[in-house]
Amino acid sequence: MQPEAEFVHWLFATGFLVLGICLLAESIVGPEVWGRNPWRPHLWPGAMFVMGICMWPVMILFTNSTIHMVAHSAWAQVLMLSGGAELALARGKLTSRYWHLTVGLALIVSGAASLVHEQNAWLFSRSAFVHHALGWVMVGGAIFPIARTFRPRSFVLGAGFAATFLVVSVLLYSHRDVADIFGHLSPVAGAPHR
Amino acid sequence: MKTRLLALAVVVVLAVLVAPAGAFAHASLRDPSPGYRERLAAGPAAVVLRFDQAVTVFPDSIVVLDARGRIFSDQAASGADPRIVLAPVRTLPRGAYTVRWHVLSADGHPVAGVYTFGVQVAAPPPTEAFGASGPTRAEDVVRWAYFLSLSLVVGGLGFALLVLRGMPPVLSRRLYKLIGLGIVATLEVGVLAFIMRAEGALQLPFAKLLYADLTPIASGTRIGSAFTAMTMGFVVVSVLVYLAWLLDRVVFLWPAFLLALGLASGLSLSGHQAADLGSSRATELADWIHLSAALLWVGGLAVLALCVWPLARDLRRDAFLRFSRLATLLIAALLGAGIYLSIVRLPALDDLWTTRYGQVLVLKISLVSFALLWGAFHHFIARRALVERKPSSWTGRLGTTLVGEASIAMGILLVAAILVNSRPPG
Repeated sequence: MQPEAEFVHWLFATGFLVLGICLLAESIVGPEVWGRNPWRPHLWPGAMFVMGICMWPVMILFTNSTIHMVAHSAWAQVLMLSGGAELALARGKLTSRYWHLTVGLALIVSGAASLVHEQNAWLFSRSAFVHHALGWVMVGGAIFPIARTFRPRSFVLGAGFAATFLVVSVLLYSHRDVADIFGHLSPVAGAPHR
Repeated sequence: MKTRLLALAVVVVLAVLVAPAGAFAHASLRDPSPGYRERLAAGPAAVVLRFDQAVTVFPDSIVVLDARGRIFSDQAASGADPRIVLAPVRTLPRGAYTVRWHVLSADGHPVAGVYTFGVQVAAPPPTEAFGASGPTRAEDVVRWAYFLSLSLVVGGLGFALLVLRGMPPVLSRRLYKLIGLGIVATLEVGVLAFIMRAEGALQLPFAKLLYADLTPIASGTRIGSAFTAMTMGFVVVSVLVYLAWLLDRVVFLWPAFLLALGLASGLSLSGHQAADLGSSRATELADWIHLSAALLWVGGLAVLALCVWPLARDLRRDAFLRFSRLATLLIAALLGAGIYLSIVRLPALDDLWTTRYGQVLVLKISLVSFALLWGAFHHFIARRALVERKPSSWTGRLGTTLVGEASIAMGILLVAAILVNSRPPG
């Protein structure tokens, strides 16, 4: 039994929305206020780690192409790595600030997987557009967690980091296969489908 | 002005994204007829493939072949519905058939796949479809890497729980790193091994393999089932080990160890073991015991040589003596199960030198004998010196000799990987 791809994308869009909202709230109120409640600093790293675990069944279920399988596997691993590292930092198990760089790495790997996965140009089809947009948002957005490693109190970097996840969330929510209102951007891509 | 342009750009991007349409997906085969590995009473008039979106069809989009490679299908064509592709099939006599298909997805990507069906006979798995190749040398190496990764996980966890009886702070960091490395490698090598096996069935160049449909192989073969179970199982193992490290709770390592040990059976079931002549529940159990004992032995040696010896001088003696006791049991289990399996798989003695499987087995037995001699030196000479607390030149070099024994054990795993990928005679 395989769920519809869009449902899975929406599920993960919700996960990224949670990450984005938590990070935005943290950057607005500041880490001290955010950390007053002991479980709150564990919230977004924990969500990220759980999203990584949930990505594995997606890899197993969606075997309709090798490249999808490999991409899902890469996303699962980087989500678990960065979520796990942030969780360990929040708990004090890891202390070096350089572990924050794993989130930047995760975004670069995820973005690259999305870009490599799409061989057509931006305006070839809606699929191509979304893949390119997702890829570049993640690759470009990696600058925020990387810079935030060295300037953890910067509001701009914190908000940019949160915005990256919010945009990724919007892009994932935009995956809707159920109606033929807007089809391919290029006639070369063929007739609209589904 | 700049703000207006920016706002306009945002609105355009959102309008494009909000409008519903197909995205993210290449064409996926939804409903093939005949189905994957379906056993039919009579041959079908046509092979019909239904995709989830419109596809471009070529004359050779569907090819139906029998076990000898004779083609039984005519030119493929698109159905009234552009998502359907069909190819008329001539009368099929009793036998197994392979369907090889390829179409162009609406997003411009070539999509391809292979599956099998049978007419009055059971269909073989797609890994045994016409044109599929058997395990290659590269796959032997990948299986070896899989054995090594598993030995780090199973051996590392087993050593921590059975020999060290916990995670001594002095070793904790390196031991967790070693086990973590093993888990990551197990997952990575598992994915690689599955794709390589799928490539053997699909017989596609790399660029086309990227968009190939792996579903019939993932859901209809032993290696596919083992891949699914082992991937999900090792994700659970990774979470348990992570929690043990994060929360300093060794108790999480027990379920991780038992699960990893149980998952080792997936390797037996994905090799020739489960399908060869003479295979039974008893041989499956023996294969699992053989493999588990080997993984614990090799992994334990690696931990002893790479963690205990360089990092914990105070723990060396106790750890060595306890592992020595465990290793005696492991070697007994390894030899007992191995001898039983050899007798089942090679009923005639001359199979040992007249068949390739037998020759590889002889090489493995030779290496095992060498490792046993090395182990006997550790057991009867080094161990006695440690029990009597009499330092000698041998005990001073134990770290090096342990690395030597571990290296030979790893060599045995390489030969074992070749053996598992080979087909026994008969």
